Amino acid sequence: MAQVELLDICKRFGTTEVVHNANLSIGDNEFIVLVGPSGCGKSTILRMIAGLETISSGEIRINDRKVNEVMPKDRDVAMVFQNYALYPHMSVFENMAFSLKMAKLGKNEIRQKVDKAADILELTPYLHRKPAALSGGQRQRVAMGRAIVRSPSVFLFDEPLSNLDAQLRTQMRMELKKMHLKMKTTTIYVTHDQIEAMTLADRIVILKDGRVQQVGTPVEVYERPDNRFVASFIGNPPINMLEAVVHRTSDGDAISFCGLTFPVTLPDGCRDQDQVLAGIRPDSIKRDEALAALPEQWLIDGRVVVSEIVGSQSLLEFTMGEASVVAELEGRVAAAPGQTMKLGLNLENLLLFDPDTEQAIR
Amino acid sequence: MINRDRIKAFLTLLPSMILIAVFVYGFIGNTFWLSLTDWGGVAALAENPVRNYAGLSNYKELFTGFLGGGFRQDLVNAVYYSVMLLLGAIGTGLIIAILLDNKPRGEAVFRTIFLYPMSLSFIVTGTIWRWMLAPQGGVNILPTYAGLDPLKFRWLSSTGAIFEFNWQNLLQIAFYILAAVLIIGGLMSIKQNPTRALRRFLLPGIAVGLAAWLFGDLLPKALFMEETHGFNLATLGIIMATIWQYSGYTMALYLAGFTGISQDLRDASMLDGATTAQYYRYIALPMLKPITISAVIILSHISLKMFDLIFAMTGPDNAETGHPALNMYLTTFRANDFAKGAAIAIILFLIAATFIIPYLISSYRQRRTR
Ligand SMILES: Nc1ncnc2c1ncn2[C@@H]1O[C@H](COP(=O)(O)OP(=O)(O)O)[C@@H](O)[C@H]1O
Ligand SMILES: [Mg+2]
Repeated sequence: MAQVELLDICKRFGTTEVVHNANLSIGDNEFIVLVGPSGCGKSTILRMIAGLETISSGEIRINDRKVNEVMPKDRDVAMVFQNYALYPHMSVFENMAFSLKMAKLGKNEIRQKVDKAADILELTPYLHRKPAALSGGQRQRVAMGRAIVRSPSVFLFDEPLSNLDAQLRTQMRMELKKMHLKMKTTTIYVTHDQIEAMTLADRIVILKDGRVQQVGTPVEVYERPDNRFVASFIGNPPINMLEAVVHRTSDGDAISFCGLTFPVTLPDGCRDQDQVLAGIRPDSIKRDEALAALPEQWLIDGRVVVSEIVGSQSLLEFTMGEASVVAELEGRVAAAPGQTMKLGLNLENLLLFDPDTEQAIR
Repeated sequence: MINRDRIKAFLTLLPSMILIAVFVYGFIGNTFWLSLTDWGGVAALAENPVRNYAGLSNYKELFTGFLGGGFRQDLVNAVYYSVMLLLGAIGTGLIIAILLDNKPRGEAVFRTIFLYPMSLSFIVTGTIWRWMLAPQGGVNILPTYAGLDPLKFRWLSSTGAIFEFNWQNLLQIAFYILAAVLIIGGLMSIKQNPTRALRRFLLPGIAVGLAAWLFGDLLPKALFMEETHGFNLATLGIIMATIWQYSGYTMALYLAGFTGISQDLRDASMLDGATTAQYYRYIALPMLKPITISAVIILSHISLKMFDLIFAMTGPDNAETGHPALNMYLTTFRANDFAKGAAIAIILFLIAATFIIPYLISSYRQRRTR
């Protein structure tokens, strides 16, 4: 039940500035994910919101109250740390009860709240254990329990799942999502894993080198990335970037790359003979029956480098002229290396970027 | 296979086991045996001295004999000395460590300064402090820098004493101490298990205390005459010097411990609403319990074996600042009373064991349950 606003936030450690003029406005009940490569300043931003780092300049507002100088405990936020930060000498119960004890709540009230949280998180049988006697997933849940007993108005998560094994991570991810749907608390979640970001977020904030690159829903940042970095960072397998030249003639628009020319509708932002980067998502490459839906001119011959089957889909790496391209194809493709294969490029979803500024051309 | 490994392991360990058996346990046993003899007196240094079995008479004489008063005062000194050193060095070290843990400017410099006394030998420390504590020395003239009168306190030769008690009532006092230990133990465990704390600790403690108070007069007297012992003020100087030397050490222990606690835990406690004081009280110190225990064991040993510092500060035979270790040396090698010296050594050994054995038992149990 809270809005969080970052206004022109900067963070400097000594003379190095690690967060540059971040602006972000987070609405009630929203699940926001900050995503970006390691070292891009995600944790720093989260810690500034929590009050664990000072803010070098700018303003953070929680529920329209400026909190720059407010102590962490008075900001009404709770945080889950990557390594859980459980108090090792306290039992699960004491871990969850600590904040309530510090807030001088009565014994019975504390017991009630902890029992309720333990019930939600299925921790009741472990309340008397020490963290050392718990599995990774259980510790993770204790860390969440410690956050939810306080019913804060904002949850902060700093890569909470990255210490879990892959299977547990997927499972906890879904539980997190369910919990958010149930409790509807404003959540700010940090991760370097774009899949986590895509699956959890209402809106994604993509960061690079301390700068916000784009803010948008998962679909927006996937389909309409603002720049080359966002396009490459979001999506797995990553987008194919090919050097290309655009043609605007009286015959209509076209783009050529890898020695081939394709008729397309170009955005207004490009002029004849511009050098551009053409971004083609692996899932925009089709084969077999899907080819019928594409215009004849978008069909190509690909020379298979390697193919692998991933469940019901296949990843195919092939060369097209000089360039090496990755495709994500429906169905199981068993193709021998060196073989030539008929493929189609769905250029309706073509993304164009300026090679110098790396901004999207629209 | 396992058997052969075991035999190899046993053979590898055998030499050190034999050496320890002979030179540690063998010699403890020999000392204990000597303490039960009457080796001493005029012919003590004869080529084949006469050594008759004398039972516990040496111990009896030390604790209740007419001439044992000096030793009894030394023992009382050692107890007060240990308690004061533990409180002083651990308290001071802890406070400095907490201050440095909050990263003041120049933390590294302060750390070195506070650790520095550790590198001095006791003889050097003793000499420095003897000068500083001289009647017209450094500490006493300190107030004059503030325009006040100099202090007149005789740090190392004062004859005053506080917390005095009559040695005759030794048994009663022992019961009081037992009662206190039981009650404190009960209060400490009352949260985890109230009924057990009440039954096993609190009620027996109160009963023992009450009985000792009501029927103390009926207990046999330890001595046929009145003999008061107390905390000799002359030992204050020695205590100060030892605290000065060792609080840097406890500071280093605690500081290493604090530094080892992840910043995330501190952040988490701050978000949970703990103040800095509460962080240390509820998170950091309980986590460093093993460090506190080792500090207590190490310091209590040092205080029970203290010899050179006292020797350097007041000489070996200043009655006010005596210590059983010095007394043992004088008794054995000056008075050639080898049997009684051995008895003093064994008494010190047993006192030290009362600190160590509970620790060993609890750490052994912890390892087993893990
Ligand atoms: N206490 C600090 N002092 C100096 N530099 C820091 C400190 N904390 C983080 N940084 C720097 O700030 C940048 C962002 O760090 P961080 O927010 O932890 O990145 P992320 O969480 O995105 O991996 C990194 O380059 C890191 O080296
Ligand atoms: Mg981080």
